[in-house]
Amino acid sequence: MATIKVPKPPNSAFNKERRVSSLLRAHLEHLQRAEFRLPAELQTNIYINAIKTEGEAAEYIGQVTARLHAAHAGMGAPKAKGKKVTSMAAMAARAKTKRKSVKVKAKKKQTKAGRGRR
Amino acid sequence: MPPGLDQLKHIVVLMMENRSFDHMLGDLAKTNPKIDGIAPALSNPDTAGNVVKAQPLAQFQGQLDPDPDHHFPGVDLQIFGGDTSPGRVANMQGFIKSYFNQQRDVKHSQKIMYYFPQEKLPVLTTLAKEFAVFNRWFASIPGPTICNRAFAHYGTSFGKVGMDLFYINEPFKSVYNRLIDANPKRTAKLYYFDVPSSTMEIVNLLQHQPELFGTYEQFLSDCKKGQLPDYSFVEPNYTDHDGDDGALIASDQHPDHHVQAGELFIATIYNAIKGNPDLWKSTALLVTYDEHGGIYDHVVPPACTPDGFVASPNDTGTGMEFKFDRLGVRVPAILISPWIPAGIVVDRVFEHASIPATATSFFIGDYEQRSPREKVADIFVERTDKPVDPGRNLLSRDVMRDDCPEFDLG
Repeated sequence: MATIKVPKPPNSAFNKERRVSSLLRAHLEHLQRAEFRLPAELQTNIYINAIKTEGEAAEYIGQVTARLHAAHAGMGAPKAKGKKVTSMAAMAARAKTKRKSVKVKAKKKQTKAGRGRR
Repeated sequence: MPPGLDQLKHIVVLMMENRSFDHMLGDLAKTNPKIDGIAPALSNPDTAGNVVKAQPLAQFQGQLDPDPDHHFPGVDLQIFGGDTSPGRVANMQGFIKSYFNQQRDVKHSQKIMYYFPQEKLPVLTTLAKEFAVFNRWFASIPGPTICNRAFAHYGTSFGKVGMDLFYINEPFKSVYNRLIDANPKRTAKLYYFDVPSSTMEIVNLLQHQPELFGTYEQFLSDCKKGQLPDYSFVEPNYTDHDGDDGALIASDQHPDHHVQAGELFIATIYNAIKGNPDLWKSTALLVTYDEHGGIYDHVVPPACTPDGFVASPNDTGTGMEFKFDRLGVRVPAILISPWIPAGIVVDRVFEHASIPATATSFFIGDYEQRSPREKVADIFVERTDKPVDPGRNLLSRDVMRDDCPEFDLG
């Protein structure tokens, strides 16, 4: 069979100023949620709502992904003496439990306040 | 035991972005009537009352801007043509209406009906002609990327029809976790393009490092060294960004990224596997797309086994609940192996749950803890611990082909 030549895209195809698609916007939000589970010293402090272009998105995505890798490899910020490094999964599970208990507490507070007004 | 299955050691899946079957492969129907592609009568009404036919006028870039709507309500309009009545019947007549909603431009909205003539996509169409192309591979749900990719990783989207992130303590393991937790242990890797592109599979990124993740460069190296895991999932580049050696063009083919960049990426993955003779004879490569991207396709998605979850009317955005009992729009899917005869066209119904179903059944065997959808999903590689049905086995040649396509990347 004859070899098939595969054309390359033109240089003009590249546009890192292209505005982010809904897919990339979701990707940024997901990575931000992952970032917020990192220790504070590993977070980027980048405000993702200010990200408008693919190039900016790639910069943020790259930083967070690298930091997630580093955290898993235990190469992040120096550990506090004697403190065990918590696994990412455990932190995520704790975050879910914390959110649940915050919701329950808020509901209880609401109910209590309602009873007081009566 | 058919020798192709006997020698099979690796399954590789490459999932691209947001293009429908008719848009990418529909033109093949004119040279192969077995392929259910474009026919002269296919059309959609536009908002000015015109009947607009599908036309071979798709461009690589700059045409589908804005990005066509592929979220649940938009896809519902595309499939049902705007009919929201009980007992409605899908007619695939709402694509132009849906695209019109985004820019209110009648002329522009008609471009959603454009498809690629086959000579513009030499890689994808050659692979479709030379290996096994699926006439009936559908997105798993009529919605966007994240929930469809979830079906490829977990066999379900856990009741999600949008772009929500999944929490970690869901009832079913991803196919990667199943494989590495199996006894005997199997191997799996998700290769994303590079760090600035990253993976869409964030949940696993949070959990398993570095066992489950690698980059595209590592994929190429692993192919060369014969170190591919049992199961690999490859993601394209999702962004235009600067790399160490210059500009890196997005290769996912998501509008409005350049389609030729994706062609090049697909060819590179193919060449990487084929370039190692031991790997080539022992690997099956599936190239598919996560969803149709809001772009026209004519085949009505079929009903399917529900997966036990229900999305609320609020979550769907249509005012109707969704019981995950209907598939999404058709997408291109091609299975590649030197043990597959040229010109195979597969008419059985597949969807993205077929991916974990296939990898699980082939590398582990029976596995109970997975979604009802995945348990009944058809598989594209037959398991070898049971008698093989020759009518189903796609890796059917007795002798490996020596005439498989070669791609020159220049």
